[in-house]
Amino acid sequence: MSTTTLPPDGFNAAPKLADVLPPRKERGRIGMFIYRHPTIAVGGFMVSLFVLMAIFAPLLWTVDPTALAPARRTRPPSAQWWFGTDMLGRDVYSRVVYGARISLIVGFATAIISAVIGLTIGLISGFIRAVDAVVMRVMDGLMSIPSILLAIAMMALTRASVENVIIALVIADVPRVARLVRGVVLTLREQPYVEAAVAAGTRTPMIIWKHILPNTLAPVTVQATFFCASAMISEATLSFIGAGTPPIIPSWGNIMAEGRALWQVKPYIVFFPAIFLSITVLSVNLLGDGLRDALDPRMAKRI
Amino acid sequence: MSSSSPLLDIQNLQTHFGTIDGVVRAVEGVSFHINAGETLGVVGESGCGKSVTAMSILRLIQQPPGRIAGKILFKGTNLLELSEPEMQSIRGKDISMIFQEPMTSLNPVLTVGRQIGETVMLHEGLSAKDAEQRAIEMLTLVGIPAPARRVREYPHQLSGGMRQRVMIAMALACSPQLLVADEPTTALDVTIQAQILELMRDLKTRVGAAIMLITHDLGVVAEMCQRVVVMYAGRKVEEGSVEEIFLNPLHPYTQGLMGSMPKLGSSLHESGRSKLTEIQGVVPSLRKPIIGCAFASRCPKVTDACRQMAPAIEEKAPNHLVACHYAPRAAAAA
Amino acid sequence: MFAYTVRRVIATIPVMGVVALFVFSLLYLAPGDPAAIIAGDQATPEDVERIRASLGLDRPFLVRFLEWLFRVLQGDLGVSIFTNLPVAHMIKQRLEPTFSLMALTLAIALTFAIPMGVLAAWKQGTWIDRLVMVFAVLGFSVPVFVVGYLLAYTFALQLDWFPVQGYTPIANGLGGWLSNLMLPAVALGGVFIALIARITRATMLEVLSQDYVRTAKAKGVGQRAILFVHALKNAAVPIITIIGLGFAGLIGGAVVTESVFAIPGVGRLVVDAILRRDYPVIQGVVLMFSFVYVIVNLIVDLLYTVFDPRIRY
Repeated sequence: MSTTTLPPDGFNAAPKLADVLPPRKERGRIGMFIYRHPTIAVGGFMVSLFVLMAIFAPLLWTVDPTALAPARRTRPPSAQWWFGTDMLGRDVYSRVVYGARISLIVGFATAIISAVIGLTIGLISGFIRAVDAVVMRVMDGLMSIPSILLAIAMMALTRASVENVIIALVIADVPRVARLVRGVVLTLREQPYVEAAVAAGTRTPMIIWKHILPNTLAPVTVQATFFCASAMISEATLSFIGAGTPPIIPSWGNIMAEGRALWQVKPYIVFFPAIFLSITVLSVNLLGDGLRDALDPRMAKRI
Repeated sequence: MSSSSPLLDIQNLQTHFGTIDGVVRAVEGVSFHINAGETLGVVGESGCGKSVTAMSILRLIQQPPGRIAGKILFKGTNLLELSEPEMQSIRGKDISMIFQEPMTSLNPVLTVGRQIGETVMLHEGLSAKDAEQRAIEMLTLVGIPAPARRVREYPHQLSGGMRQRVMIAMALACSPQLLVADEPTTALDVTIQAQILELMRDLKTRVGAAIMLITHDLGVVAEMCQRVVVMYAGRKVEEGSVEEIFLNPLHPYTQGLMGSMPKLGSSLHESGRSKLTEIQGVVPSLRKPIIGCAFASRCPKVTDACRQMAPAIEEKAPNHLVACHYAPRAAAAA
Repeated sequence: MFAYTVRRVIATIPVMGVVALFVFSLLYLAPGDPAAIIAGDQATPEDVERIRASLGLDRPFLVRFLEWLFRVLQGDLGVSIFTNLPVAHMIKQRLEPTFSLMALTLAIALTFAIPMGVLAAWKQGTWIDRLVMVFAVLGFSVPVFVVGYLLAYTFALQLDWFPVQGYTPIANGLGGWLSNLMLPAVALGGVFIALIARITRATMLEVLSQDYVRTAKAKGVGQRAILFVHALKNAAVPIITIIGLGFAGLIGGAVVTESVFAIPGVGRLVVDAILRRDYPVIQGVVLMFSFVYVIVNLIVDLLYTVFDPRIRY
């Protein structure tokens, strides 16, 4: 029994086995991305379309969305007025295209501002115990007020403006981001590499910057995307019940609020902004779903 | 090999998984059998397909993304051809299974008695009351004190060793003919390990079940098994009686496994053993088809032939099968 | 168990305190002069002063807060600026339609959402799963009032199966009550179904991948028993948690739905109050709904112990 280079009794090959599953399809880089993250691809593409529509609204065959024309009130959709005209004779198509601006501004601004404020509060209260007790009580209290009602109460006390709508929605969202970030911080603080950094005498700001912040960005981005979607719905809802952007501004919520009185006879005034709002929110939600799956596979199982 | 038909006869088992990165060939053409009443050890490193083989026997593989091919003959019936309800009536009754993780393998929101009783209610049509009675008997059998009280408790109220006893009680409640035990003692303390093994050996003789014991612990194999199957990268590389495998390992991989153990027997070369105490390299990826011998990338005796042609599994000594081009044929068999 | 209950109940007190403090302080935190805003653009300086005094804005914050809190604890939510009626009384009159709507919505949502989520998890990756997920994303994306109009247009205006708007008290017969509430409840239920179906699916997927589900399968337990006995009970805690949290959305949605379907409930009351800038009414409704929300989540906390024997702290 010695190790020779020749087999003692010739080679016998094992029988070849057929694969029992079809092979993977070959895909290019873009193809693979779409295959892996279809919702990011579709959602991202559609959100970009709406952003472009909002930016280039004046170039998209629109007229002045606030131009009154009592002579041609409530015309049905036609070649001239694609989405018809409202009861003041304004071109619904132009109003809807310009309306994208308000929805997107409110959505993005609310998401970004609440993410930044919530992240700050969450980081501080995750690290400083004295702050934590008080701040989290306040956050719990704030979260106990249904957000639309919180916004209604605030809007009732301020003058209607886009900024105030954003502020009202941010106040409702901040506690949720703060809670999320604080949770992440508390988990991370227990991690061996963070404890090691603490033991090695790394200063707290450095620990937050190097170890904590990078790990909170993924969940906060995902949550911010969903807040963007819900802020757009909330803006429309507030405008719809008369507690949102001032009626003079053509936001999708306002167009629908104005169409309300006539919805049984002229449903298209409500219909078109509703379709645009729904599809925009849908795109953002798809993007959020995809980001969540891609950034945090564990979180994909929650909610 | 014995000529009487075995209890379980696995032929050319292939279990593949379709993943987003391609097909994973977790088990690739494995054949072995288990005779009634015997204990067969299946050994190999983690990820070598031992557990997937076990799960394939009971068809616990999600299909899709998994796919099982080949034949799994249990008392002559191909389990892969049974309908799902037919399979359900076999699981837990004729073939049952014990898993590695006693801490997570019991349902946390159902009482222990309910979980043991469920098996006999399903397979023997017992009433809930009789099932609880049986559960108490089973708990007594596996040596859990105060069974009448424990039967109403939840898993989180039991220790790890106790939970594994409950798992054994559950698996044996219907007196199965085959018990598949997937690393039953790995997660337990050493002292508890010995107790659980002792319990399994004791119950095996009482119930008369055959055991397929999956483990990476060669000590457990030496203690419990009559025959051994060695797996590597989803393939069977060697099979034989415990004595043959331990005293005369023929496959370089098996030799490596033995080399990482305290000295057993004296069949290894002094020079070879010191080289083989550690198996160099890593297990090849199962995502790509392996050309040639699966062990080629780590084998100290590798030649070009190994890299190009997968060795057939051949009987190189009586009741001793090896898949290696260079495994010497024993003089008696030649 | 008893200690747990007591602790949970006590824990809600500071939360309610913060809610009260915040709702009250809004008057002071709001930029500009709330009295002037509430009085409106045509108001005389005397009107503004009268409103300022009635809101108590002329007195120190803490004194005013404690006074207000004391009265709220006695069930006095102040007086409406517009009708001069006690707010508590106005709310009480409107409770039945609102709670009817929410109860029916909850019933519809649970009936559909949980089986949908379980089915989607079981058939993960198939067209059934995709259908449920598409429905869930749509539920989150289409505003409640849009769904409301869509349903009203189709099933009331076109098909004439249900009344377009209005409300019939339950005392006048279950049939009228149901036919009036069916469309609003379905409209409002959309988001809630989406929310619950999604969490049910996600939690079930996680539970179904657990070792104990594999154990149950290895015992020969059938698919239905695995889903509804072994898995669903383990998934219950996250599901009821999301139901509790989702109640906030239900409340917000009820406000809008009542407007769409002209249901004379608390939501309608608050929307009318917005147009009249009747802040005491808004304040009272916000406080009442927040209280309901906190209580619902307290009940959820207490339900945990029913589903999970490990929760006993």
